[in-house]
Amino acid sequence: MKEAGEFAWLLAFEGEEAEANEAARRAAAAIRTSGMPGLVDVVPAARTVLVLGSPELPASRLESFEAELPRTGPAVAPRRHEIRMTPDGADLDEIASRSGLSPDAFLEVFAQLDFTVGFLGFSPGFAYLYGLPKAFHLPRRGTPRAVVPAGSVALAGPYVGIYPAPTPGGWNLLGRTQRRLFDLRADPPFLFVPGDRVRFRL
Amino acid sequence: MTDARGLLVLEPGVLTTVQDLGRYGWASFGVPAAGALDEEALRLANRLVGNAESAAALEITFQGPVLRTAGDLDLAVAGGAFGPAPGKVLRVADGEIVSLASAPGATRAIVAVGGGIDVPLVLGSRSTCVSGRFGGFQGRRLQRGDFLAVFPASSAPLLEASADLTQPGDGDVVLRAFAGSDEGEFDTAARAAFWRTRWKILPESNRMGLRLSGPSLGLVETASRASEGTTRGTVQVTADGHPIVLLGERPTTGGYPKIAVVAAVDLDLLARTPPGRNLRFERIAVTEARRQLDAREARLRAFPGGPT
Repeated sequence: MKEAGEFAWLLAFEGEEAEANEAARRAAAAIRTSGMPGLVDVVPAARTVLVLGSPELPASRLESFEAELPRTGPAVAPRRHEIRMTPDGADLDEIASRSGLSPDAFLEVFAQLDFTVGFLGFSPGFAYLYGLPKAFHLPRRGTPRAVVPAGSVALAGPYVGIYPAPTPGGWNLLGRTQRRLFDLRADPPFLFVPGDRVRFRL
Repeated sequence: MTDARGLLVLEPGVLTTVQDLGRYGWASFGVPAAGALDEEALRLANRLVGNAESAAALEITFQGPVLRTAGDLDLAVAGGAFGPAPGKVLRVADGEIVSLASAPGATRAIVAVGGGIDVPLVLGSRSTCVSGRFGGFQGRRLQRGDFLAVFPASSAPLLEASADLTQPGDGDVVLRAFAGSDEGEFDTAARAAFWRTRWKILPESNRMGLRLSGPSLGLVETASRASEGTTRGTVQVTADGHPIVLLGERPTTGGYPKIAVVAAVDLDLLARTPPGRNLRFERIAVTEARRQLDAREARLRAFPGGPT
């Protein structure tokens, strides 16, 4: 556990990233429901949990969430989402060829994959999904695009991501969805929470 | 009068947004905290006009707006010497024009209004989230012709006091800071250079972060780094070896290594410091940073007329 601010602590988890992320998500959920005083926010990420607190937070109690995690699975079954995607991304051909496949063959495999929402970050509602086989891990683009359209489904490193709003972005664009990831008029306003399962339907 | 009380924007200024103390509890959905960069100015300006410290106010940058009042309003500008009565309550009659044009050397200030600015609470805050285009006034910086409604003023008395906040002064700005969570990833020379260097604030700085120019701290391997939650005041080092101090509107996660964290008690001063100025970091222990924060809370509580 390391200090990230006067009253902020970063808990880190070891291992292969998707597993470390699962541990981070589990720790984040346990901290949230711990009833600990002085808790301001709990932010799971790739392999860490950031705990934001106030002077009342008993920081010494956080150590235990990093040290010994419950090895059991989530108490509630994860929610499942099916996201319809139009495979018209500007980088589809390149993504497929770098994976050694034709675009059609790539998409056929992609649509069979099960993804897990690892964490959200970068911009409101932007989700990082795990579940991409290693053969499909691609570097970010050398030069980011000034604007990536809202709803873009994109790949970078071990992640699939969906851009909730038009923002600059350096990920490889696979397709687009009409689903809104972030809608302030909806309750809850965010489509995904960490731990949700996602499949793409073409 | 029964018509809406509020402020009509005649000229918006360079970057004028509605901010409160920030949006907390939504970082795990990627929602930045936002909020006033100068928290001390927001809290004291609100206190001057009888508001709760957390009431929504305007944050103005470099050049403030020109506003026309609808209804009799009490304003207080704090943090930078903009307008006719910085740091003091300014009583403005219905229909008057208030100009908060630039002040020599001033960077940023808060303009509080008795009652507080009436914009909807979004995810628990009235702060503008520019990257998400929500919160504040229609999710954006103010434009000419916008009308900001104001809540009815409380019956709390106006304060006679003056909010004279520390200003950057003429010399280098010194920011106290403690070790960041990735300090160990930098070699001895890079660490020494970080604490020794006189850094210059670049004009590319914004509400997300303050970019610093100086010697490169070396190329840092960032491609394979895992994203982590970010905190206000964290100094991260980009791939080309240059530091960025993360501010209120930073993204909630980031992948650059963190060499230091600026003490929260010094971030308000940083918000008042213009681009082009030089600054240095002075190393303190995190326990000292907490002690300084406690001391600041005590000073704010003791501000005349505040809760005792």
